[in-house]
Amino acid sequence: MLTYIFRRILILVPMALVITFLVYLGLDLTPGDAVSQMIPPDQIGNMDPAKLEALRESLGLGKPFIVRYWIWLVGVLHGQFGYSLSGGVSISQVFAERVPATLELAVTALVISTIVGSILGTISALTRGTRTDHVLTVVGMLGVSIPEFFFGLVAILIFGLKLGWLPVGGRLTPGAESFWDQVPNLVMPSLVLSIMMTAGVMRYARSSMLDALSRDFIRTARSKGIPEWRINLLHGFRVALTPVVVLIGFRLPLLMGSNVIIEQVFQWPGIGNEFIAAVRSQDYPLVMMIALFSVLTVLVASVIVDVLTAVIDPRVRLGE
Amino acid sequence: MSPQRLPRTALDRDFDRILERERTGKIKAQSQSRFWSKFVSNRLAVIGLTIFVVIVLMSVFAPLLSPYDPQKIDLRAMMLTPSAEHWFGTDRTGRDVFARVLYGGRISILVGLGSAVLSAMIGVAIGVYSGYVGGWLDAIAMRVSEIFMSFPQIILVLLLVTILGQSLGNLILIFTLTGWGGIYRMARARMLSIREEEYVQALRSFGLGRALIAYKHMLPNALGPIMVNITLSTAAFILQEAGLSFLGLGVPMSTPTWGNILNVAQDLRVLENNWWIWLPVGSVISLFVLSVNFIGDGLRDATDPSQQG
Amino acid sequence: MTGTGDLALTVKGLKTFMYTNNRCNRAVNGVSFEIHKGKTLCIVGESGCGKSVTASSIMQLLPRLSRIEEGEIVYHAEKGDIRIDTLERNGSRMRAIRGEEIAMIFQDPMTALNPVYTIGFQIMEILMYHTPLGRLTRRTKAIDLLRSMGIPLPERRVREYPHQYSGGMRQRAMIAMAMACNPKILIADEPTTALDVTIQAQIFDLMTTLKREHGTAIMLITHDMGVVAELADDVAVMYMGNIVEAGSVDDVLRAPAHPYTRALLESIPVLGRGKNQDIHAIPGQTPNPYDRPGGCQFADRCRFCIDICKTEMPEEIVISGDHRVMCWRHEELGRDAAE
Repeated sequence: MLTYIFRRILILVPMALVITFLVYLGLDLTPGDAVSQMIPPDQIGNMDPAKLEALRESLGLGKPFIVRYWIWLVGVLHGQFGYSLSGGVSISQVFAERVPATLELAVTALVISTIVGSILGTISALTRGTRTDHVLTVVGMLGVSIPEFFFGLVAILIFGLKLGWLPVGGRLTPGAESFWDQVPNLVMPSLVLSIMMTAGVMRYARSSMLDALSRDFIRTARSKGIPEWRINLLHGFRVALTPVVVLIGFRLPLLMGSNVIIEQVFQWPGIGNEFIAAVRSQDYPLVMMIALFSVLTVLVASVIVDVLTAVIDPRVRLGE
Repeated sequence: MSPQRLPRTALDRDFDRILERERTGKIKAQSQSRFWSKFVSNRLAVIGLTIFVVIVLMSVFAPLLSPYDPQKIDLRAMMLTPSAEHWFGTDRTGRDVFARVLYGGRISILVGLGSAVLSAMIGVAIGVYSGYVGGWLDAIAMRVSEIFMSFPQIILVLLLVTILGQSLGNLILIFTLTGWGGIYRMARARMLSIREEEYVQALRSFGLGRALIAYKHMLPNALGPIMVNITLSTAAFILQEAGLSFLGLGVPMSTPTWGNILNVAQDLRVLENNWWIWLPVGSVISLFVLSVNFIGDGLRDATDPSQQG
Repeated sequence: MTGTGDLALTVKGLKTFMYTNNRCNRAVNGVSFEIHKGKTLCIVGESGCGKSVTASSIMQLLPRLSRIEEGEIVYHAEKGDIRIDTLERNGSRMRAIRGEEIAMIFQDPMTALNPVYTIGFQIMEILMYHTPLGRLTRRTKAIDLLRSMGIPLPERRVREYPHQYSGGMRQRAMIAMAMACNPKILIADEPTTALDVTIQAQIFDLMTTLKREHGTAIMLITHDMGVVAELADDVAVMYMGNIVEAGSVDDVLRAPAHPYTRALLESIPVLGRGKNQDIHAIPGQTPNPYDRPGGCQFADRCRFCIDICKTEMPEEIVISGDHRVMCWRHEELGRDAAE
């Protein structure tokens, strides 16, 4: 088992290297001195030209690309992400402030969509052909067709403005202290974020369940005289679950993408929101680093999903 | 027969109906191709196709449907509610919203469909050949597509927008670049499974060139999933364009698209008080994408040989 | 016909139809046979002749889009007769019979076993629902069952997954599972088709031993006449949904009365007869099950076909004792063979 995890991580490293390489290439090509990416901008103006030159030397700025890349990479691994062009804030600080908010939103949405989607998809499969199934299918289609931000807008209009049940945006309402006070703010964004994914999971879970139920071992289970609920749950659902969980890995890139938009609509102070601001202000260093971060997150998450799959499916674990 | 027969269910009635039809000889041979008959029998697919065609036609024939210029500012007619003169009312600078929706549709549909088709062409061209032949082309293409696909799409798109700048052409280009990977992999996977079939090996033994075999003989068998993929990609790209333009980062604001029009809804006051500016547009997008999804679903059912009752 | 004292199962006039694509396939079109306690009945025929559907009908394991149209399936339990065809498909009474009174093993043990559960789990499952045994006892019993089926190191094997077993072992495990509650009837649907010939022999030996030790009646479905010769006490030859000939294995194999039976026997090469022996493949193909011709289904492939064969389905005629056949010309053929 451990070797499996180790192997998966090992495969990741070349990919990560290539991506960091591309990111640095992008950084290098964009206008702006590399120095301004490494040093707080407000200090540059105050510096003595000679000292500046010496600094450039020490940062290896006169050296070939590969060396600079390496120095930069080492810096990144030590948590030095450079500085944002707007405001000169350290990028790592930006991350520290914003990532937890995004995680809060993303994880909530992921959990909701996986659970609700699996259940609805299974119900759809078990009631196949009946009205329940048709209604669920159409609802699912609606879920993937309505743009999320539109959904968010409508939700804000109804629940925020007209009915006043929930706050219209932001993560914290002034005066909120405990975790529970923050929940109302979390409700709309996470639900809206999870809608599209729930619809996707539901359809996938349905077809996975139907596929599992059509397999030979279901007939064998039935021939043993065990009750239907057990066949559906322990034999059907259990086997149908594996592909659905694997799909979490595929859903992660989508989730991060949707995150960006939803954070904008609800003014949620996460890293996605920051990304949009950075793009709008052409803040290349910040744009690059956030992009890098998102890719690495996806890669790491896919390893986690592979490990999860090995836990669930003995064939993978014991090496077929 | 035993007197203790089980009660008749709906399924039983269906079966009895089939038996009755066969008894009275009402079975006709399948004259139409199986594909069409399956597609047409799918109600949702037909509804989807209808809606799709209607919206496309309305956008294409926009000048016939609205006398207004979508860009023309009329400061005397700002923020008017829907009326007989302005079916969807006017926006903040007096432009007729209905006209903007119609003309905006042209761009949105162009971006969506165009990007989907372009990325399909590239993805299929590479995927079909490299899936069959393998070799270094395949290895490179796989690595490249893998890298592209590990980026969340919006982030990659915005990254490229930052670098390349915002324009309609750039957007289509960027969408194509980020989208070809998916179709490439799917086409390649189909090729890999078809490759082992006997007729392919037979063709090879006849001395046919590999490109010819790949494109002329194997490709038609992969067309089903490819068509499904194109429709679903179209839906995805339209949603993406809408999202990006809504944020002001997609098609430049000077050209109306469905997403652009929604941009103003970021202002909470507009959201609350001027529903006609954003609600109809959003509904049109949803309706259009829904219809595309219905069509895609119908295509999938019609081309999938393993469907059962 | 002997009294029902020694009968385990009686099937009378069974018709099972399958409905797909809005068409009707009369997969089993009027089939009758009996299974005697402690004896083996082989149902033999080509693919698509309806033998598997017959087995599924008895176990009520038919696919969703099919049903038993007519006929009786009577299971002769100790407490009395049970009309299986009148029971609800997955109701409690049918479930009480499945696994405990009548059990079934399937063709491909790799797909027939659930890949995510251990063999032990799957055997213990059937014990859980048919016996009052506690958890630990179930485990011990599972190990015993594996051991009695000839699986080495059963204590270890019971915790392993299907894909960790070899093909022959998987089939043994499935037989262990089926025999767990000592059913009166074991239905085996082509149990060795997916296995090597050498393993085949072992599995059949195993089944013979079970029959002897537990008095289990076996209904063996196969397409291989050689297997019939080896194992069967009684045999029923099926073609396109009908039993065209049935009787004791001696009667049917020594004096086949139906042209199809004879054709089947003639198409098997016999080891030792040399390479110039007479093998006749049966010409033609089975008709489209959705568009069956009238009359005898074998007509257009039969060398003895006459006009009436094409229009009228032959009735079932008793030749002697248990030996019966459905053929218009069986008398002449019987004489013909005797010469």
